[in-house]
Amino acid sequence: MNRAALLWRVASFAVAAGFVALWQLIANLKLVSPVFLPGPDRAWASLVRGFSSGDLWSKLAGTLEHMAYGWLAASIAGIAIGAIIGSSRRMRTYVAPSLEFLRPLPVSAIIPVAIAMLGLTQAMALFVIAFGAIWPIMLATIHGFAAVEPRLYEVARSLQMSRLAVIFKIALPSASPDILAGMRLSLTVALILSVVCEILAGLDGLGHWVLLSARAFRSADLFAGVILLGVTGYVTSVAMSLAEHRLLAWQAAQR
Amino acid sequence: MASAAKRLEVLSGAATPQIAFDGVTLVLGGKTIIENLSLGVQPGEFLCIVGASGCGKTTALRLAAGLYQPTSGKVNFDGQPMREPRREIAIVFQDYGKALLPWRTAAGNVSLALEAGGMTSAERPARIEELLRTVGLPDHASKYPSEMSGGMQQRLQIARCLAQEPKTLLMDEPFGALDAMTRQGLQDEVLSLVAASGATVIFVTHDLDEAIYLGDRVIGLLPHPGRIGIELPVNLPRPRDQLSTREHPEFLRLRRQLFDFIKATEQ
Ligand SMILES: Nc1ncnc2c1ncn2[C@@H]1O[C@H](COP(=O)(O)OP(=O)(O)OP(=O)(O)O)[C@@H](O)[C@H]1O
Ligand SMILES: [Mg+2]
Repeated sequence: MNRAALLWRVASFAVAAGFVALWQLIANLKLVSPVFLPGPDRAWASLVRGFSSGDLWSKLAGTLEHMAYGWLAASIAGIAIGAIIGSSRRMRTYVAPSLEFLRPLPVSAIIPVAIAMLGLTQAMALFVIAFGAIWPIMLATIHGFAAVEPRLYEVARSLQMSRLAVIFKIALPSASPDILAGMRLSLTVALILSVVCEILAGLDGLGHWVLLSARAFRSADLFAGVILLGVTGYVTSVAMSLAEHRLLAWQAAQR
Repeated sequence: MASAAKRLEVLSGAATPQIAFDGVTLVLGGKTIIENLSLGVQPGEFLCIVGASGCGKTTALRLAAGLYQPTSGKVNFDGQPMREPRREIAIVFQDYGKALLPWRTAAGNVSLALEAGGMTSAERPARIEELLRTVGLPDHASKYPSEMSGGMQQRLQIARCLAQEPKTLLMDEPFGALDAMTRQGLQDEVLSLVAASGATVIFVTHDLDEAIYLGDRVIGLLPHPGRIGIELPVNLPRPRDQLSTREHPEFLRLRRQLFDFIKATEQ
């Protein structure tokens, strides 16, 4: 790491530490009632307590599970549909207008429909999360497949490659930077929708924990849950970046 | 010796052409690009095509590759009609940067052709090494195309084409984007590769000297629509040599003749 990067890292840690200190100060001075705002000390204690009793583990696992299933379903469906639409110009011209109509629909508008059809169930959560998370992936895949260098298709033709080989050896790798970027965006969407579904349907998870804590005025537990959600979002996004970095090592060579 | 025998056949016109254009006309977007083109390329022949920009050289090559189908007339390969591209015909594109897979290393790019040919993964590494050595890239197997110079990328594309074990090699201004030194080196390499494999070559170029230096025969196209304007057999001894061949009186005579032809088409 060079000096400038190191300096930036130190600075960002300092800002974070300052933020926690300020939070502690506000709590200590009781500028906000402790019923609503616990200090970082109490939030931390609640985190430790939650993990040692195992309560938070199971909630965390629940949220991760909702997020992972929804995201994976969105990824598989998004890449498959995106590939079909993206690889044919005719499909793009026919389907693109409908996509433009569906895409800006807020997912929150879909939730009542999903609840009406599927009830307050895991299936409903899976559907809503996948529906929300599919867009960035699908649109990125369409773009990636449409942007494959036509010359490479000619190379494939002169090698008499099979359709399947063309998809897996040429189109998918060529579109992979777009697809992975879309998957990273939808990771955040999946986390948000997991929490929303847990709150609405009372499914086991951090969303539910946060809701119950708020209702019972257990502000320290509430903050512990929120902090954990933040950490989850951060860690999954970092993991995704690492995966991208590894899978797209050839792009680093390009720059 | 085999190639000398072949060459004799070529000159006497005894063999059936490997690639035969028979009254080929191609209309694209309502415009006649190639009109009534008839042309036979003998097995083992090195045919060069020259002509002003936009006269249809690339289009003619794409017809030979099966990437275009003629609007009327026929293109035959070994006596069979060309309906689609085939592995026996390899194309070296001018824009090597676009014709290589940026996410595969040099070895991986060569491997693509071997995979398409159904070679097992156990046999591939040895063959890849051999091919990379043939084109002078033995130490660059694990480099990505973006880490290679233009000349190296073009060698890599040639290696991938050789991996197809083509009967015919189609080359569209393959050295157009390279500097003079790299270019001359690659010209000689292509000549020796072709002599070793006995492949038939159609080589498109802007460079009249290059066409005469490489070819057994040079064809000059006339533009709008593309058709044959001049056809010159090249009776220069092989192997060719960058210095003595280019000073040969026959070379200079052909050069003069082609130059006058091109100048006339540009008026
Ligand atoms: N797909 C196409 N549709 C319509 N016209 C085309 C198409 N492809 C090529 N042409 C036209 O056909 C003519 C010949 O093109 P071609 O690329 O074969 O020329 P060329 O001799 O290879 O030129 P250059 O030396 O610049 O590469 C040009 O006038 C070009 O505009
Ligand atoms: Mg051209």
